[in-house]
Amino acid sequence: MSVVLNRGEKGRHAARAGGTLFALVSHTVRMQLRGVIIWGVALGLYSAGMVASFTAIEGSADQLNQLMDAYPKGMLEAFGVTDLGDPANYLHSQVFGLAPLALSFFPILALANAIAGAEERGTIDVLLGNPLPRWQLVAGNFIAASISLLEICAVVGLLTWGTAALVDVDLSLREVADAVLNLWPICIVFGTVALLCSALFHRRGLAIAVPAFLLFGTYLIDTIGRASEDLEDWRPVSVFYYYGSAIENGIDWTHFGSITLIALALSLLAALVFKQRDIYT
Amino acid sequence: MSLAIETEKLTKAYGRKARGIEDVDLAVEEGEVFGFLGPNGAGKTTTVRTLLGFLRPTGGRGEVFGLDIRRDSVEIRARVGNLPGEFALEDKMTGEGLLEYFARLRGVKDLGYARELSERLGAELHRPMRRLSRGNKQKIGLVQAMFHRPPLLMLDEPTGGLDPLVQEEFLDIIEEVRAEGRTVFFSSHNLAEVERVCDRVGIIRGGRLAAVETTETLIDKSFRHVVLTFAEDVDPKPFADLSGVRNLEGGGKRISFTLDDGLDEMVKLAAGHRLVNMEYERPSLEEVFLTYYERENGEGR
Repeated sequence: MSVVLNRGEKGRHAARAGGTLFALVSHTVRMQLRGVIIWGVALGLYSAGMVASFTAIEGSADQLNQLMDAYPKGMLEAFGVTDLGDPANYLHSQVFGLAPLALSFFPILALANAIAGAEERGTIDVLLGNPLPRWQLVAGNFIAASISLLEICAVVGLLTWGTAALVDVDLSLREVADAVLNLWPICIVFGTVALLCSALFHRRGLAIAVPAFLLFGTYLIDTIGRASEDLEDWRPVSVFYYYGSAIENGIDWTHFGSITLIALALSLLAALVFKQRDIYT
Repeated sequence: MSLAIETEKLTKAYGRKARGIEDVDLAVEEGEVFGFLGPNGAGKTTTVRTLLGFLRPTGGRGEVFGLDIRRDSVEIRARVGNLPGEFALEDKMTGEGLLEYFARLRGVKDLGYARELSERLGAELHRPMRRLSRGNKQKIGLVQAMFHRPPLLMLDEPTGGLDPLVQEEFLDIIEEVRAEGRTVFFSSHNLAEVERVCDRVGIIRGGRLAAVETTETLIDKSFRHVVLTFAEDVDPKPFADLSGVRNLEGGGKRISFTLDDGLDEMVKLAAGHRLVNMEYERPSLEEVFLTYYERENGEGR
């Protein structure tokens, strides 16, 4: 005879559900800490190096800009170069314009691992042997990757701003904070593509390859679209079109919110897909 | 007595390539130790994973403690301690870390029983999983399945990789679990241990449940090994011609055979000679199990 859970039992289950989600998120964030340090320090040191190198070119900025004038205008636009004497523009063209291409791999790898990776490693049956709803596995990993990504952005921001303060480059904390925070939505959105693929295909390789292809594909569409009038109309299909240069212009919160909403929608879709399918080991 | 597990025509089809389970009718009572037997690919793991909601059934229905396996999977898993047959544990974690994490997921505050189980099984809790042998990982797998004292334990090949002393300790724990009125559903290739602890066994072959009996009944209803020793030479042919006799060997004063049925005829035929000794032995569960599969292969041919 089937048992129907009463309201009291459902209330207890809801309370426990909050506990399991918190336990999953805190555990996953802790497990990702080593990756956060490696990614944060590597990218942060690169950014700090660029800040330090700015002091070397600062004095000859006029000559460099004259040299740049000799380059095709479209090419300079493609890489966001407008004034190399401006530290914000210099850092956008050398660091923050390119950083999503590397940093997106942190959430892509983390979220491809969440389902398909756990299936391939054979760890998912033991984990889901606990009273953990499938949607929480998806949501918990999304939240954990989001937190870890923010931590990486913070490390990069601190190393960038700290170096700027140390070598006396005119870069405010606000400008750096905008630049690193603006990395978050564009990187997490590719992570959620990986999460959806992980929920769909139960193959980690595919869950990495699809968002990686999209990452480079959309970057190329936007970059070439800046240089070529023929491809300019295609730029709005690329998420990089909405990325902008937050270090120079501040964060465009409409774009920030829209990309975040797409990431949330992809996560929701991943949860729905994963709820329906068999779990493979 | 109420049922811990109940299935009715439970079916899981994987498509054309792989065989799943078909029309499995299973009733496991609360408080019993139920052995689920079958070779690799027979459907044991598919049955367990379908009951836990990891696989979506393609037909039939199933309940665990009256909870529907499709609708109430999370509630079911709250009442079940699961040891999967093929499993891995996160390489970076230690056993202690894993148990603390799972305790948080289950809302368990006290890890005293987990530590007691770890000590009894000799589980190494402070080394990362990647440095543990298969046996040590298996011990941690067992502890994580049992530490929260679930009313139902589902254990797939629980003693794989364990040394004999630890296997003995594990079987003692299973007997304690039964004494506490909790239910154990376990699959095993080690039929001696199944015979020792299981109240009933189910045999699955080709994705279908072939038999469910108490362990004693399964053996009692099965064949016997018979060895007859006579005072003088006898012709073995009349014994070989009996309908229930097979595998007849020997001749002269001593013959041995397997007797499926027809005990009365065999005894009357033997009584026609001067009988010195008669050995009449029950088979082991292992032999009974193998007979089921020999039959399947025979049918297959």
